[in-house]
Amino acid sequence: MLAPFLIGMLLLEFIPAIAHLPLAFTSYNALESPDFIGLDNFRELIHDRVFWIAAGNSLLFIVVAVPLRIGGAMLLSLLLLERRRGTAFYRAAIYLPTVVPDIAWALAWLWILNPLYGPLNLTLAWLGLPSPALTIGEWPPRFAIIVVLAFQLGEGFVVCLAALSDMPRDLRDQAAVDGSTGRQTFWRITLPLLAPTLIVLLLRDVIVSLQSNFVPALIIGRNGGPNYATTYLPYYIYREAFSYLRFGYAAAMTWMMFLLTGLVLLLLYRVARSWRMGFSDAD
Amino acid sequence: MQTDLENVTSASVRSRRLLRSAVIHTCSLLVAVLFLLPLVWTLSMSIRPVGQLLPRQLEWIPDPSTLSNYRDVFDVVEFARFAGNSLFVTVIAVPITLIVASMAGFAMAQISRQWRLRLTAVSFVALMIPLTAVWLPRFIMMKELGLIDSRWSLILPAFFGTSPFYVLLFLWTFTRVPGDIFEAARLDGAGVFRTWAGIALPLSGPTVMAVAVLSFVRYWSSFVEPLLYIQSVSKMTLPLGLQALLQLDRTNWPLLMAGAVMVTAPVIIVFLFAQRTFLDDRLGPGRLGR
Repeated sequence: MLAPFLIGMLLLEFIPAIAHLPLAFTSYNALESPDFIGLDNFRELIHDRVFWIAAGNSLLFIVVAVPLRIGGAMLLSLLLLERRRGTAFYRAAIYLPTVVPDIAWALAWLWILNPLYGPLNLTLAWLGLPSPALTIGEWPPRFAIIVVLAFQLGEGFVVCLAALSDMPRDLRDQAAVDGSTGRQTFWRITLPLLAPTLIVLLLRDVIVSLQSNFVPALIIGRNGGPNYATTYLPYYIYREAFSYLRFGYAAAMTWMMFLLTGLVLLLLYRVARSWRMGFSDAD
Repeated sequence: MQTDLENVTSASVRSRRLLRSAVIHTCSLLVAVLFLLPLVWTLSMSIRPVGQLLPRQLEWIPDPSTLSNYRDVFDVVEFARFAGNSLFVTVIAVPITLIVASMAGFAMAQISRQWRLRLTAVSFVALMIPLTAVWLPRFIMMKELGLIDSRWSLILPAFFGTSPFYVLLFLWTFTRVPGDIFEAARLDGAGVFRTWAGIALPLSGPTVMAVAVLSFVRYWSSFVEPLLYIQSVSKMTLPLGLQALLQLDRTNWPLLMAGAVMVTAPVIIVFLFAQRTFLDDRLGPGRLGR
């Protein structure tokens, strides 16, 4: 009964993930049988300006978007933890953008962000605020893609809700009776108890971030532009492999992406660990 | 004197509580509006007649408004065929996912604790591998299997349970079922398959529901996989069809938004239908994980 699942994991996840290694040392193009070319791909990679731009973009995206998404999910779950009238509606409204198919979501935002006629700028104008051209230039589209993806935080929201409602209520009530203010209760009790969940969410979101910006970069960034401003690693890998049939080169890039993610995860883990220790010291 | 003081405090406590509740409701409402606005704007543009000057001021319901864009999408691209392909993929993939994932979860609940922990760890590692990290070798594999440009390339993951996460959801559900129930069934002479189909599955309604919805959304919305594996127009699914619509005319906003609404609507309907399973913290998938 386990066989299909185990074979599937091996065939669709583990073997493909490992298969990059040999592939990266070849000039495979999906048409002819691969030629071994040693370290040529990696040598080219080091001098590839676009690769470094893409790596920088991906890193920047992770650094800004991930804390925004996890922080947002946590704040919203704190806001909607207690059941009141309308809680079910509010929760559904927050989760809704998460289930919208990526391409439809990106397309909707391509319209919303339209500099001249898009509802966002019309709203800003109505409020008397300046109307930025968010799909033009280098920095505005980067910013826009982060905002667009920040709406799809439903998963983290649900996980935080579950973790919070699992917390013993008496703990917070007791703190309130003892004269602790809401802010103290949050920093001293709620946050430390939520920390393990947040760390798992952070690690997962870093990994998810490696692919979540593919569709927005394609649609809102118009194929990773302008001037590679929204070319993230997944999009660059996709382009090299499937537009130019440079599978070997793309595999070498995938290895670099693994390395980069691994470093970020390691750093995050280190920080998270010391952060949690800081809390237990305070107790 | 004493009672007066008590009255005063309870009144101030009550008014403070009222204020707090008002603030929370206002914030919640603002957030809900913020999250719904993109969908409302999409709907609003989708009922605007094509060819009219675009508005320079915010409008909610276009005047005049029309539903003809929804029909026109079918004439401009082969939308009906794309919808048929999407339906074909999900209708086959979702039941297969349910069968394979629940079987694997059931089996994992029966084996020794040591192996269960090992397999759970392996599943977690597999969950951490992003799609971008496997698409090159998967493409080569699909090519060798002759599945490129076949709708079966999109269905293939279902035969393996689609995602280790679904298997883990079933595992966590089945480990909470008292072990004697399965033991009793075994002593009654029921085989593993009969125990799984006759006892385990009927006991795990909410999990079956959650995995059905999650996998439906996944297969229906999947964009990258058909982008890699599907080449001919006649085999495209709806998300690719939407991209084709965009490539035809980047400025026909009413038509584009009508297409986006039609691709999104089934997912939203399924989600609203099943939202209790997700968002009620007493039942949701977050809960199933405990």
